[in-house]
Formats: sequence, structure tokens, C-alpha cells
Amino acid sequence: MGRITLERVQKKFGDVEVIPPLDLTIEDGEFVVFVGPSGCGKSTLLRLIAGLEDVSGGEIRIDGTAATDLPPAKRGLAMVFQSYALYPHMSVRKNIAFPLKMAGMDEEERRRRVDRAAEVLNLTDYLDRRPGQLSGGQRQRVAIGRAIVREPAAFLFDEPLSNLDAALRVGMRLEISELHERLKTTMIYVTHDQVEAMTMADKIVVLRAGNIEQVGSPIDLYRRPRNLFVAGFIGSPKMNIVGGDLASRHDAAHIGVRPEHLDIVEDGGTFSGKVTVSEHLGSDTFFHVAVPGLDEPMTVRAGGEVGLRHGDTIHLAPQSHQIHRFDDNGLRIA
Amino acid sequence: MATQHSRAAARFMIAPSVILLLAWMLIPLGMTLWFSFLRYNLLMPGANPFVGFENYAYFLSDPTFITSLINTLLLVGGVLIITVVGGIGLAVLLDQPMWGTGIVRIMVISPFFVMPTVSALVWKNMFMNPVNGLFAYVAEVLGVPAFDFLTQAPLASIIGIVSWQWLPFATLILLTAMQSLDSEQLEAAEMDGASALSRFWYIKLPHLARAITVVVLIQTIFLLSIFAEILVTTNGGPGVASTNLTYLVYAESLLRFDVGTGSAGGVVAIILANIVAIFLMRMIGKNLDA
Amino acid sequence: MARAVSNRRMAINTGVAWVLAILIFFPILWTILTSFKTEATAIADPPVFLAFDWTLENYETVQERSNYFRHFMNSVVISVGSTLIGLLIAIPAAWAMAFVPGRQTKNVLMWMLSTKMLPPVGVLVPLYLIFRDYGLLDTRIGLVIVLTLINLPIIVWMLYTYFREIPVDILEAARMDGAGLSSEVLYILTPMAVPGIASTLLLNIILAWNEAFWTLNLTAANAAPLTAFIASYSSPEGLFYAKLSAASTMAIAPILVMGWFSQRQLVRGLTFGAVK
Ligand SMILES: Nc1ncnc2c1ncn2[C@@H]1O[C@H](COP(=O)(O)OP(=O)(O)O)[C@@H](O)[C@H]1O
Ligand SMILES: [Mg+2]
Repeated sequence: MGRITLERVQKKFGDVEVIPPLDLTIEDGEFVVFVGPSGCGKSTLLRLIAGLEDVSGGEIRIDGTAATDLPPAKRGLAMVFQSYALYPHMSVRKNIAFPLKMAGMDEEERRRRVDRAAEVLNLTDYLDRRPGQLSGGQRQRVAIGRAIVREPAAFLFDEPLSNLDAALRVGMRLEISELHERLKTTMIYVTHDQVEAMTMADKIVVLRAGNIEQVGSPIDLYRRPRNLFVAGFIGSPKMNIVGGDLASRHDAAHIGVRPEHLDIVEDGGTFSGKVTVSEHLGSDTFFHVAVPGLDEPMTVRAGGEVGLRHGDTIHLAPQSHQIHRFDDNGLRIA
Repeated sequence: MATQHSRAAARFMIAPSVILLLAWMLIPLGMTLWFSFLRYNLLMPGANPFVGFENYAYFLSDPTFITSLINTLLLVGGVLIITVVGGIGLAVLLDQPMWGTGIVRIMVISPFFVMPTVSALVWKNMFMNPVNGLFAYVAEVLGVPAFDFLTQAPLASIIGIVSWQWLPFATLILLTAMQSLDSEQLEAAEMDGASALSRFWYIKLPHLARAITVVVLIQTIFLLSIFAEILVTTNGGPGVASTNLTYLVYAESLLRFDVGTGSAGGVVAIILANIVAIFLMRMIGKNLDA
Repeated sequence: MARAVSNRRMAINTGVAWVLAILIFFPILWTILTSFKTEATAIADPPVFLAFDWTLENYETVQERSNYFRHFMNSVVISVGSTLIGLLIAIPAAWAMAFVPGRQTKNVLMWMLSTKMLPPVGVLVPLYLIFRDYGLLDTRIGLVIVLTLINLPIIVWMLYTYFREIPVDILEAARMDGAGLSSEVLYILTPMAVPGIASTLLLNIILAWNEAFWTLNLTAANAAPLTAFIASYSSPEGLFYAKLSAASTMAIAPILVMGWFSQRQLVRGLTFGAVK
């Protein structure tokens, strides 16, 4: 079991309020991703749940019991740190076994569990090495191994992939997702990378300056961003946001159209402009189009075979049911 | 990390160090300050009347004070110049690839570990002695008259001895700093067409600036207090030719047993050291934030 | 830096460096050699380098005439004793400042450092009088106290710079893993801190062994460590080169070897982390 609820949880460092009081429920077995720009308080929130920081106010419950005043070890949670935080003077086996040893488990059982975890994580050949002798990906696995042997109520991950190179990151992303499929344990995963959030999460929590901007499934957030911040943060390339006259024509202060919802038309269309940069990715091409009267160039996604060049003039028409409308306060209209 | 009860425990753990150092600083310092206002001589027991700034007036107006102050500055300045310039040279050299780096390094740093009394006596007797010293032998071979170092040039000789002791320190620190220089920076400069000399002048030397400052400041703190080397070689003489401030205060207090004047001298020495200390502390403090 | 350099460059570097290194090291080498000569050979003209009858008689004479071993033990007791006591006091403090830093931590550290800047001569008189009045003059315990106090700031600082390099993440991981304070200290902190503590110990023993202000001023025949004992050779015994050399060699040899092993720590310890 691993149902975690936060009620009016708040955190101040001195006089600085990093997390204003917030409520959040994480269901048992869910894969929840906290996402937001760096410095927005994701790690702080995670550490409050872990018990590594004291809350300044509010209540944390884990499976219905009050956990606010429990020390980290008593909360039944396991954490994978961004730096992995492996014990450098212990072998891989000892690292993974450490939480079991602390729990007073006997040697035999410890060995069995470590062996099983090592097998799952492809670490069997490395059990006698020190962390310093492992590659980044292997260290990552050891850190995960140390977490899973405890069979915790929930796993906490703080940007676990940010120290890996791009190729490894995609691989580990899949591994963590598979691990979740297999264990069905609650996972809370912190990242500033919206791609990780979109691909891994059951539920995304978008944070800005300690505030929850929106909570929902990846598809929800993509289809119905609650405000301009979420609209701009989720989706890659970013949503095109347009204000002024064009927006008022739709009875809104701002309208947003994703690059993939702009059609290139022969003539007419809503926007016309010159191509400034084209990025060919093979399957897709992204054109940046300078539209007179707009501050920022618009981005449009087209098929890989579309062959426009720098300086060509194109006309763009947003798909009518894919226009997002926002009011003066940046909130979504309907 | 920081939770409530760990704060309290932390205070408790720091307390012994703080209390001890506080006592170490305040009690003797307070006493020195107090004595410096008394007429107080251990050879003349009796009342020790309060005399205001008389001791200071006496100490500061004594021509020996001016001499010792100049000697102190010459000693500190001379050693600094020799060790910093020599240290930069050695650091640049030792940073180059060569055979036997380990042994060369060991030989170069060794003098730092020789206790001051030993190095002073070895230099005084086995090298500088005008009859049996090695230098006398060298003079003989060259056909020049032997030079009595500690009599004819006492301060310069002491500067030489102390420089020998501190050169390794400067070298070691500058070498460490040199090795932290990103080699890509040097390669970039090489690509930009910089000669070995310009690479030294424009890249290495500025990179060393900070380490040089640290060496200068730390050595100054220690060099202001040079004592043993003078005690065992010249006893501050001939006359007061090699007396520095530290030795002068020692002589006033423990040779002439004039506690009052000695204390006044001590206060002067503290003020002098503090001027340097302020700069040093600033540098170290800045580093603490990084 | 790994970069192919021509053999010619290597040879020149090597030659210049070795010549300079040997020149710098020469006084030590000469002292060691002289300690194995007879007094007559020691002042021979021209000087003899290696081709002499090696003898150990100087070492024996030094011990017999002056009870050398006693002073050697004084040095050991004073340097090791003051270092161990210093560590005992400093470890908890450095620990707390590194892992539970508060608003005042930085100020406390800087203040501790400032006590090290106090010139010893500034407190010579009161300390001498206190020692005299409390019967601490020329006692080992007195010197242990003084050396502990003068080196305490360096010990705290060195330990602090080492402890600070232990990532807080690791301690937090241990806490998540269920380690209580005692397991955390026993299984994680201590093993990780041992190298730092050992380096501090080493450097501080060196500093205490060579301390030559307080040892000279606060001791006489009884508690004099080697620094003060050797000073008694300033005259006229100093003219007996072979014996002076034997006494000196024994005084510097152990510390020289320790020093070679502590080059890195020396930089860190004496620059208070300002140069790494
Ligand atoms: N121990 C601390 N003391 C003071 N401020 C902190 C502390 N930890 C984090 N902060 C501040 O809280 C804010 C959120 O930090 P963090 O949770 O680490 O952000 P994120 O993980 O989203 O990048 C930042 O502005 C950071 O400077
Ligand atoms: Mg973070």
C-alpha cells in the first residue's frame, strides 16, 4: 500500500516561503511526476514527503496514518537521489543490503533479497565492486536496487536521470517504467524535463514557485492546460501563444495553438510569414515563421518531406477545434 | 537535513572548542593588556603601580624598537620575495614532465619539515662557520677570504636560512594551484598562437594570483613571529642587528624581566599581525562561501 | 596534460630539476652524512663526501651524554598528546559545523581562525607567569595544553574541510535506509571520515613536533622536547659537527618521513582550504 496525502503542507526556509500551503493526494500504485522549472520547489516537496525536511505547517499521511512527525526511516519510503548517494566505501552488495541490515534482517535473507534485486537490475556480475568502479548507468541501478530491496510503500526519485547521457537516459526511463509495471508500487518522480513527465507519468503535478498549477494525466495536460504556464510548459516544441486582435476575435486575451495543429495552406490562412529556420528531423520538419505583427516567431510542424526554405513565404491556418483560449489572468476559458 | 533537535546537539558539540579558544584568547590577552599599563618588573618585587601609557612611550621611543621594526620588515619582505619568486620558478619547473618527479618533489619539500632549531644550527655551524663551514671551504677554493656570515651580515644570513625553510611551502602550494589549471585553457591559448612565455604570463600567472596571495599572507603571519632561528644563531646580535620585534619582546620580558614593557611590545606585535590577518581572513572567508 | 614531449625536453627538465632539488636538499643530506663521520672527518679539509669510515659512535655519545631518548620521548608525548586531545575536542565541533551548519557557523570558523593569527609573543608574558604560578613550567602537561590550544583552530578547520566534502545526500540516504544516529556514525560517517582524520592527525603531529616558540620558552632540562634540546647545541657543542648532526638527524628523520606522506594535506591544512 502507498497512498500519500498532503493537507495544507507548507515549507518556509527562514522567512522565505518556498511551498505555500498545498493539498495533494497520491493514490496507491500511481506513478506521479512532479514537474516544473528548476528552483520551483520540486525537491523540497519530495524531501518533505521523505521526512528529510520538517514541514512548516500541515499534515502528511501515508496510508491513512499521520507521518508528519515520523523520522524518514519510519515512513516506509525509499529514495533514489540525483547523485545516487551510494556509500563509496561499501561494495555494491553491501550498498544494496544496507537498509536490510539496518532493519535487522538476518544475513541469509539479506543475501537472498540482494541476489534477487541484482538479477532484476542486471547487477549480478558487479556485486563485489565498489561504486567508484561502475559506470553512471550501473550506479543508477545500484541506487534503485537499494530502494527496491526494502519493498517500500512508495519510491521517491529526485531527478534520477539528470546525470546520465542522452542515450542512457532513454534506456533508464524505460527501465523505471517497466519496474513500475512489475512492482505496482507508488512512485513519485521529480524532473524538470517535461518529456520524462509525459512519457512516464500516470499523473503529472505541474509546479511553479511552490504552487500546484495543474494536476492531471499527461493527455489532460496536453489537451486542456489550465493556464498559460502549463500550456507553455507541456508539449514540445512549445505551444504558440498569440495575444491582441487575433485573440479578441476568439473572445480571449490570448490564444494558443500547438505547432502540430497548424496547417500549411496555399493561400489565405490566419497567419502569413517568412520561414526563418527549418529543423529537419527526418520524420518531421519544424519551421519557424516570422509573422509580421507578432513578437515571437511561430513554430509549425510539417511532414518530413515538406521542402520549404529560408525566406519562403507560407500561410498557416490553425485547426479550429484545437485553439486554446485564455483570459486576462492567463486562465483557460471553457 | 537540519531538524530542530540536531541544532541543539550541534551547539553542544561545538561548545568545548569555542569555550577553550575563548579562554585561550581572552585571559592572556587581557593580562597582556593589563600588564602593559603597569610598572612591573619581576626583578623588583613590590607594588606594580598603574602608569598609563608609560610603557608604550618607553617601548616605542627606544631606538631599538625602530631597528627591530625595520629588521622585522626586512626579514618578512626578504623571505617573501625569495620564496615567492623561487616558488613560482620551481612550481613551473616541477609542473613539467620529467623523470623521477616523485623524488624531486620529496627533496624539494623536505626543508619544511626540519625543525627551526635544527636548520638554524646546521646552517650556522656546518655551512656559515668562517673556519670549518662548507662556505669557508668554497671561499678557500675560489681564493677569496672567508666571510663571517652571522657577524658581518647577520640579518641577511637569517633571511637566507628562513627562506630555505619556507621555499618548499611556497613551491608546494603554487604547484598545487598550477596543477588545478584546466589544461584545455592552455591548449586553447596554444591554438591561439601564444608562445610558452605568453602562456606563462597571460594564463598561468593570473591563475596563480590567488595562491600567491595566500602564500604571502600565511607566510607573513608565521614570519612575523620568527624566533628560534634568531635565538640559536645570533641572539639578536651583533648588538641588535638581527633583533626582530618578536625577539625584542622576548628579551624585554624574559631576559630583562620587564613585564610592563614586554607586554606593551606584545600589544604592538598583536596590532601589527592583525593588520595582515584582516586581509588574510577576508580571502579565506570569501572562499568559504564558494 | 598527458602529452607527448620530446625526449630532449624531458632530459633538460629532468636535469635542471634534479640539480635544483639536490641543492635544496643538500643541507639535510650533508647533515645525515656527517652524523656517520668522526669529529675529525667532519671538519676535514677538503670535505669528505662518502669515502670515510662510517661510524655510529656519535649516536651512542649523544644518547649517553645527554639522555637523548628522554627528549625524544618528550617530543613524542607532547606532539602526539596535543594532537589526540585536539582531535577529541575538534571532531564533534567540525562535524556539527559541516553537517548542521547554522547562521553563525561561518563566523565561528572565522573567529577560530583569527585566534591562530595572534602572535605568540603577544601572550608570552602572561602565559609565562601563569605557568610559573601553577607549576607548569618545564612540564610535559603544560606544553601539551599550550600546543593543543594553538593548533586547535587548524585541526577544526582541516576536519571541517574534509567533512564538508562528504555529500549530505549520502547521510540522508542512510537515514532513509533506516540508520539511526549511531549506525549513521558507525557505518557511514566514520569510514568516510577516516582518511580526513588521519591526514589531520599527521599534519598536526608535524606542526607540534616542530613548534619552537613555546617549547623554547616554557621548558628547561626536564620537559624539553627535541626543538629545545637541540637549541642547547648552539654553543659550544655546536662545533662538534658529527654529534650535532647525529642529534639533528634523529630529530628530523621521523617527521621528514611523515612529511613526505602528507604533502597534499599540508597544502590544505596550512591554507585553510583556500588552495586545493
Ligand atoms: N536548505 C535550504 N535553505 C534555504 N533555501 C532553500 C533550501 N533548499 C532549497 N531552498 C530554496 O527553495 C527553492 C526550491 O528549491 P528546490 O526544491 O531544490 O527546487 P527544484 O528541486 O524544483 O529545482 C529554491 O529557491 C531554493 O533556493
Ligand atoms: Mg531539485
